[in-house]
Amino acid sequence: MLGELRINDRKTLVALKELGGRASVEDIARKSGLAHSAVMRSALVLSSEEIVMIHERKHLAASLNSEGKGYAEMGLPERRIVRCLLKLGGEADIGRLAEEAKMDPEIVPIALGWLKSKGWAEIKGKRCILTLNCEPPKGVDEELLELINEKGKVVVDELSPELKRALEVIKKRKLVEVEETVHRELELTAKGWNLVNKGIKIVEEVTQLTPELIISGKWRSVKLTRFDVKASAPVVYPGKEHPLQQIIKRAREIFLEMGFTEIRGPIVETAFWNFDALFQPQDHPAREMADTFYMANPRIGRLPGRKIVDGVAMVHENGWITGSKGWGYRWSSEEAMKLVLRTHTTAETIKYLATHKRPPIKVFSVDRVYRNEQVTYKNIAEFHQIEGIVVDKKVTLRDLMGTLKTFYKKFGLEKIEFWPSYFPYTEPSAQAMVFHPKLNRWIELCGMGMFRPEVLAPMGIKCPVLAWGGGLERLAMIELGLNDIRLLYANNLGWLRRTPLCQ
Amino acid sequence: MPVITLYRERFSKFLGRDVTVEDMAKTLPWIGFDIEERGEDYLKVEFNPNRIDLCSYAGVARAYKGFTEWEVGLPKYEAKEPKATLTIDKAVADVRPFMLAAIVRDIRLDDEAVAELMEMQEDLHWGIGRDRKKASIGIHNLDVINPPFTYTAVKPESVKFVPLGKTEEMTPKEILEKHEKGVAYRHLVDWAPRYPLLVDRDGQVLSMPPIINGELTRVTADTRNLFLDITGPSYDAVEKSLKVLATALADMGGTLEKVIVKYPDRTVTSPSLEPERMRLRVKYANRLLGLRLNDDEAARCLMKCRLGAEKIGNGLLEASIPPYRIDILHEIDLVEEVAIGYGYYRLEPTMPKAVTVGEKHPVYAFADKVRQLMIGLGFMEVMNFTLTNERIHYDYMLVKPKNPVRIANPVSLEYTIVRQTLLPCLMRNLAENKHESYPQRIFEVSDVARINRRLETMVERRLHVAAVTCHSTANYTEVKAYCEALLANLSVEGWHVREAKHPSFLSGRTSTIAYRNRPIGIIGEINPQVLNNFQIENPAAAFEIDLEPLIRIKSQ
Repeated sequence: MLGELRINDRKTLVALKELGGRASVEDIARKSGLAHSAVMRSALVLSSEEIVMIHERKHLAASLNSEGKGYAEMGLPERRIVRCLLKLGGEADIGRLAEEAKMDPEIVPIALGWLKSKGWAEIKGKRCILTLNCEPPKGVDEELLELINEKGKVVVDELSPELKRALEVIKKRKLVEVEETVHRELELTAKGWNLVNKGIKIVEEVTQLTPELIISGKWRSVKLTRFDVKASAPVVYPGKEHPLQQIIKRAREIFLEMGFTEIRGPIVETAFWNFDALFQPQDHPAREMADTFYMANPRIGRLPGRKIVDGVAMVHENGWITGSKGWGYRWSSEEAMKLVLRTHTTAETIKYLATHKRPPIKVFSVDRVYRNEQVTYKNIAEFHQIEGIVVDKKVTLRDLMGTLKTFYKKFGLEKIEFWPSYFPYTEPSAQAMVFHPKLNRWIELCGMGMFRPEVLAPMGIKCPVLAWGGGLERLAMIELGLNDIRLLYANNLGWLRRTPLCQ
Repeated sequence: MPVITLYRERFSKFLGRDVTVEDMAKTLPWIGFDIEERGEDYLKVEFNPNRIDLCSYAGVARAYKGFTEWEVGLPKYEAKEPKATLTIDKAVADVRPFMLAAIVRDIRLDDEAVAELMEMQEDLHWGIGRDRKKASIGIHNLDVINPPFTYTAVKPESVKFVPLGKTEEMTPKEILEKHEKGVAYRHLVDWAPRYPLLVDRDGQVLSMPPIINGELTRVTADTRNLFLDITGPSYDAVEKSLKVLATALADMGGTLEKVIVKYPDRTVTSPSLEPERMRLRVKYANRLLGLRLNDDEAARCLMKCRLGAEKIGNGLLEASIPPYRIDILHEIDLVEEVAIGYGYYRLEPTMPKAVTVGEKHPVYAFADKVRQLMIGLGFMEVMNFTLTNERIHYDYMLVKPKNPVRIANPVSLEYTIVRQTLLPCLMRNLAENKHESYPQRIFEVSDVARINRRLETMVERRLHVAAVTCHSTANYTEVKAYCEALLANLSVEGWHVREAKHPSFLSGRTSTIAYRNRPIGIIGEINPQVLNNFQIENPAAAFEIDLEPLIRIKSQ
């Protein structure tokens, strides 16, 4: 048993034995040279081993406040006035007296009051006259002040009746504070006596290994402190990827695993690539100011080459060579030149396909898009879109479903259905729905479809194009169990620090 | 997206057989509806804006019956020969040139049907009319008015009538100024010297398109005969709106009757309910869908979507498209009908055959490395919006605005420009995390934007990294050490720092990072005035680097 006691426990026991087997924690601390808290920690360990008993007694203890401490050292104000009066010949102007005593003018009236009531002096007009011819003896109140100052704290019950009365006086003068404290004494049990009588050896312990100990080999002869291995260590936080970034990273990894190549384009885009090239008519509601951020500076950009622009214009107006009816309106190049914050990454995809036409093509992006939305718990104006494209001679709608199913399965989402849907630039179109067990309903993961002939023809693309795009943040909210989308961009350090890397 | 609430009982009446809410919830998604809300006796569903014909019970029921195969193929719509005439005065040519009309007789309405008519009208105004810009609708009680009708244009103060929902007569001018609909839609006519007006034989006002109908022709549950008018500057939109509305009213039990519409230069009878024809190559559908349907099977799929389908040989089908299906533009749209008729749930997912090798984009591959290093240095990644405002971006940072990329229609004062640097966002992050323990070390690797007129989009997107350390003893030396560690590990060579001045940083503790003699970044201790502006209480030191020049070199 004794072998397991730590150095502080041993020191405590030795001190306790020397103090006769029962002593206060303060006394043990003084005797052993340990800190008060170290003795207490040992006391808890020793009492749990039934080596000592802890006796607790609650009592009132008085201690000086800062004013009281000052008086204990310099003397009470009335004492200081008396000393000055004696120096000045027993009588003086009050003003002169205060100056001589170097006393704060606010305290002077208090001092004069006490002078009078202690019968040491009289006040006549503005003059103060000493009634004694020598310095008065030390009063009980002054003795008490000195006592408390010396001990730091005195137990009220241990004071003589005379001192107790004096305590009441200085309490009224607001020089002391009296509060309830717990007095603890340790006492050796029979088991404890047994132990200490066998003798306790104290070997100095080393807390921290040092290079010196290691190099010199001294570590062999010193005793290393046993740590309380369960004691709490300080909290530290690692540097980490933002939880949303972790999900972006996963999405990108899945795409790469599936053989897709990453593409990247500008965040400010012409309406031409964002809308027109994707067969969205110029009066389409999505193009309105209420849905899309248009730019004020710079306001317009440049259109690509004639061939593409003319193709897009005609496809909108009458379907061009595609056999489509088109939208039947007059297409405006000015409208197409307007700059917008891109509303989807499909703008980049179609631009990419305009210059990369050799199948097979598999490209993706997980990137930033914008919508003119009021920021609420459901909506943000800026978020990320997951987008993937497959171009090949013989790809089908079923291939698109299979690709998506694989993609989301890698994300851990197994229960997926594909419902019919609509997008201006895809036909057939669908939406991938995932069943959310917590919400107990189907929620939309992404939109998908095959690019319409009206989109492909102006770009000169001859193969079918499978495309899908969906919000990343929605996926992140499912993953992270969030109800408020804004949290993803609040950068609340507490949340970032405490959200585990592995969910 | 438009929404319709379908009460089970009423919907069952339109179907002609009883269905449960559960049945509806199981079937409707496969026709293209999203389930928004589910109640005990109703289902609130969203439909796609191209299928505006689904804005009524009748429209949904048509599709539902087809999908469940209770009634397949082209629904037949017939209209009786015209008796009434509508004359289009040439005065409207300059303001809102087109009107078409139809009459619906012997319809039984109830309060729900009247409410539904109003909703349909709003859906059409939005879906086809683009908020009445291209087309707008008036539905009138035919029994209180007398043909022939005239669509004309009048001077703003030349007539008076009681607009719908009011009790007093008003002139068109007063309506635009005082009536709530007048105020909302005045921009569609107030620029013209004469405003559109629809009157009957006796000069009674039916409506002032596209603003408001007259109180006179208000439709109630007791109305039995209807006159429909559609006006607009787009003949196409006017015609489509009328087709969708007239067919829905026919499905609600009305008998359609044509109207003779006399334009100054021609006469038409409206509505025209002839189905349009379009060919489908079955092979084309099979190729795109990954199916092997024969002609009969493909035809059956179309019929389940309420299209007519006839085999005409050589793997060709001739589809007849009902008048309300205004969304079908191209053969590809028929392919989707085949898929819906076949059932999306029956399409077995397959994988594309092509073997490809994936690759990260060089910018993001580089960003990943920067992130890894910053995390290794103990920094926490933050992600901020790229949209910000000038107060935080410039004023708080004590910097003068430098031609920022600005939004024309910001939705709030918080987000008016695209950021040019990352650091102001990080300062705001520190300001909002004062209650968290220190030291705080955060970084961001992300986009900033700046104007570059050489580009097609006039704006350049650039990848930056910024990091800030904030605690009671944060200083220049500490952050410089981190910055050097980052650059060294990105194996950037030939860079050095020069003393610099920057209002956001303390002078004498600021430097620029020069790479091949061009500045690419800044290191410094944050100016205490900036800290005060953000109400940050601890010293902070930061760096920000434009990564683009480094990426270009690395990926060469």
